[in-house]
Amino acid sequence: MERAGHLPGLSADAVDWRTLTFRRGAETLDVAVPVLSEAQIAELATRVRTNARTYLRSRTVAEIAATIDRAVARLLDRDDPWRQKAERLLPLVTGYDAEMVRLGLTGYLKTFRGPELRKFIAEDFANPAVLDDFQPMPKGGFARAFGPELLLHVWAGNVPGLPLWSLISGLLVKAGTVGKLPSAEPLFAGWFAQILAEIDPELAGCIAIVWWKGGDEAAERAWLGRADTVVAYGGNDALEAIRARVPITTRFLPYGHKISFGMVARSALDAGKAGAAARQAAYDVARYDQQGCYSPQTFFVERGGRVSPREFAGYLAHELGALGSKFPRRPLSMGEAGSVASWRNAEETKGFADPSRALLGDPAGSWAVAYTDAADGLSPCGLNRTVTVVAVDRLADAVPGLAPYRAFLQTVGIAAAPEELFALAGALGAVGATRLCALGRMTAPEAGWHHDGRFNLLDLVTMTEIEGSAERAAESFAPYTD
Amino acid sequence: MTEARLVEDLLAFIAAGEADEEAFNRMALAVFAHQFETNAPYRRFATQRARTLRTVKSWRDVPAVPISAFKDLTLSGRPPEECPYVFMTSGTTKGVRGKSHHPTLAVYDRSMTVNFRRRFMANPYGGDFERLRMGILFPTEQAMPNSSLAHYLALARSEFGTAESRYFVSDAGLDVDGAIEALSRAEETGEPYALLGASFSVVHLMDALAERGRSFALPAGSRILDTGGFKGQSREMAAEEFYSRLSATFGVPRRLCINMYGMTELSTQFYDDGNETCPSVKSGPHWIRSRVINPLTGQEVPRGSVGVLVHHDLAHFNCASAILTEDAGVEVEGGFQLLGRADGADAKGCSMAVEDFLKAARAS
Repeated sequence: MERAGHLPGLSADAVDWRTLTFRRGAETLDVAVPVLSEAQIAELATRVRTNARTYLRSRTVAEIAATIDRAVARLLDRDDPWRQKAERLLPLVTGYDAEMVRLGLTGYLKTFRGPELRKFIAEDFANPAVLDDFQPMPKGGFARAFGPELLLHVWAGNVPGLPLWSLISGLLVKAGTVGKLPSAEPLFAGWFAQILAEIDPELAGCIAIVWWKGGDEAAERAWLGRADTVVAYGGNDALEAIRARVPITTRFLPYGHKISFGMVARSALDAGKAGAAARQAAYDVARYDQQGCYSPQTFFVERGGRVSPREFAGYLAHELGALGSKFPRRPLSMGEAGSVASWRNAEETKGFADPSRALLGDPAGSWAVAYTDAADGLSPCGLNRTVTVVAVDRLADAVPGLAPYRAFLQTVGIAAAPEELFALAGALGAVGATRLCALGRMTAPEAGWHHDGRFNLLDLVTMTEIEGSAERAAESFAPYTD
Repeated sequence: MTEARLVEDLLAFIAAGEADEEAFNRMALAVFAHQFETNAPYRRFATQRARTLRTVKSWRDVPAVPISAFKDLTLSGRPPEECPYVFMTSGTTKGVRGKSHHPTLAVYDRSMTVNFRRRFMANPYGGDFERLRMGILFPTEQAMPNSSLAHYLALARSEFGTAESRYFVSDAGLDVDGAIEALSRAEETGEPYALLGASFSVVHLMDALAERGRSFALPAGSRILDTGGFKGQSREMAAEEFYSRLSATFGVPRRLCINMYGMTELSTQFYDDGNETCPSVKSGPHWIRSRVINPLTGQEVPRGSVGVLVHHDLAHFNCASAILTEDAGVEVEGGFQLLGRADGADAKGCSMAVEDFLKAARAS
């Protein structure tokens, strides 16, 4: 039995626990998640808020970042017991291949080391000292950035460690933090809070990691009504339900489900480079079985290179096959298997009407590549290592068709020459894509990434300004005034 | 074999009252041969899977067409323009509707009536009811000429309903007053009553009755048939809650609250023997057989494991007899249990899934 969450000031015996059971093959893991009463919610919210006001506010951003860095260092250390626990239990909970989890964790955690945290801050604040004290402003006067006293994160999904992104962003703006664990991966965020508690108990007193069953209206209302700012992840239906319960005076920052895709220019399709591009593309598809918003679902491939789009689809299929033996796909639920199967069936059926289409896949259904010559736009695949390759004369031809999906576009993995890259970037940004990266890097955003084009830290703060007039008027009240 | 001969054979097969593995197999191979020869898209589909007249030796080898294919392909042995009856799916997700063409309804109707009599008209106090007074919570066949359910219910009424049976759904919506009148009358006369319709309409009626604080104690032998689930037309209700409320609202014991499971892509329906416990066990007559498979490999799953349902309906002779559904199920003693849709609604990530995408695309 593994206990999830982090409840400063509440004794475990005073709390009701509910068991979530995870199975992988013959192994099972029971995770106890806390079910709090309304009174406990009120108590915890007040405690976190008070602690944040008295402790976090008194620390400098640099001090907070240093503590986070130490916690992250422990999670990167393969001899550390926390790291070992993460490597052991996360594959069990999420179903992902253990080696993929191990590599993924390291790559991801590296983006939160000390120097990287400075990038997070610098991305949003030209003068990071504005988080610690009033700083002179170019327009005159002074300003200071205040984070929310109580920031509520409603996390979702099963990609290991994902909650860390917003959790750390909140801490960097000195927000008292309450995070709701995702039921599909209810461990990592609580562990992180507990590591912080070992390093700096007072800082960990400004964080509560809680749980409630998705859609539990009473618990949701109790928490939503107490937060200054709410960051929420999930599908649009879930987000809409949350938004309806957020008081109008509370800032609400939703992160909905997204769709991402890749683009391969003919300049990347000569005999020497195409193989590498396909390998990187396959890695982006296989990593976390396409569960991430940054995971590609379609690749647009340009005609006219040495390697044709159809051949590229073959390369991609080959690489997915190879990755399948190295990092096997996690076992699918019947619903997920049904999605994959119905996508494959639909692709196959289309092939009867259009012989230029092809479906490449292994008989066991563990991956599949659909190829089409037709001017198909972006389309979601069946997820879990299924992807479509669409041949286009020019990559730019694919862009107008993306416009209807503006609200849902996110990452574009691009293999193209510099001039093409910048030309495409303009067009893609105009239709709503927010992140362009190299193939092979789609699932690993760099530190300080503007998630869905927004500001990780800046969106959380409010500025308090001392206008020039106040400063000048104050002069007239000074003891030294003439 | 000509179509007329096949129809004759099928009617005889249904009339036979039972079929062992060998008899089912023989009929299934004849139907497959007919479909393979007369339906070019189905032939392509089968050939691609290396299933031909030569390689298919048992009904289990007959390749099952995914129901999504009914949207993209014209699966009809007879040219569609020669088929006076076309049933269409409600096409809720993609806007494209799957079609089943019927050159004749002789087999469909026989399949329905033989099975309906056995599964819905049994009198718990002995014998069968010849006719029951019916209330139908669905539009008429005239209002929905392409709805297989509208046809099914019209047939139920004409073959098994008394002359006083009537519809409570029209263009004007749900006739709550009419329903209350009919239900009250049944209470007064003590004559068993049958309420049949779409599950979501039943929810609407229950809500309307609750609003007026009405409930009924229908006479012994009364029964309810619901079908089709909620399809976003009413709020979703768990089966357990649905049947306990149904029983409480109408005074019909749960063992006489029968759920019918049918599809536009079939010509035969499945029924349970009431819903005293949920999920109930569904079964069909001897001319339809079901398998539970892993949708990715097409292999049958071990008995008792969850998989996706494949139905082999010999009565669906003009289209494709073997269909791969998107319904999750498990084989149990006496039939199978339905466990909802296998459509990835339980996806765990933040990657956009097909359903959401289509919804978004329609909205924009």
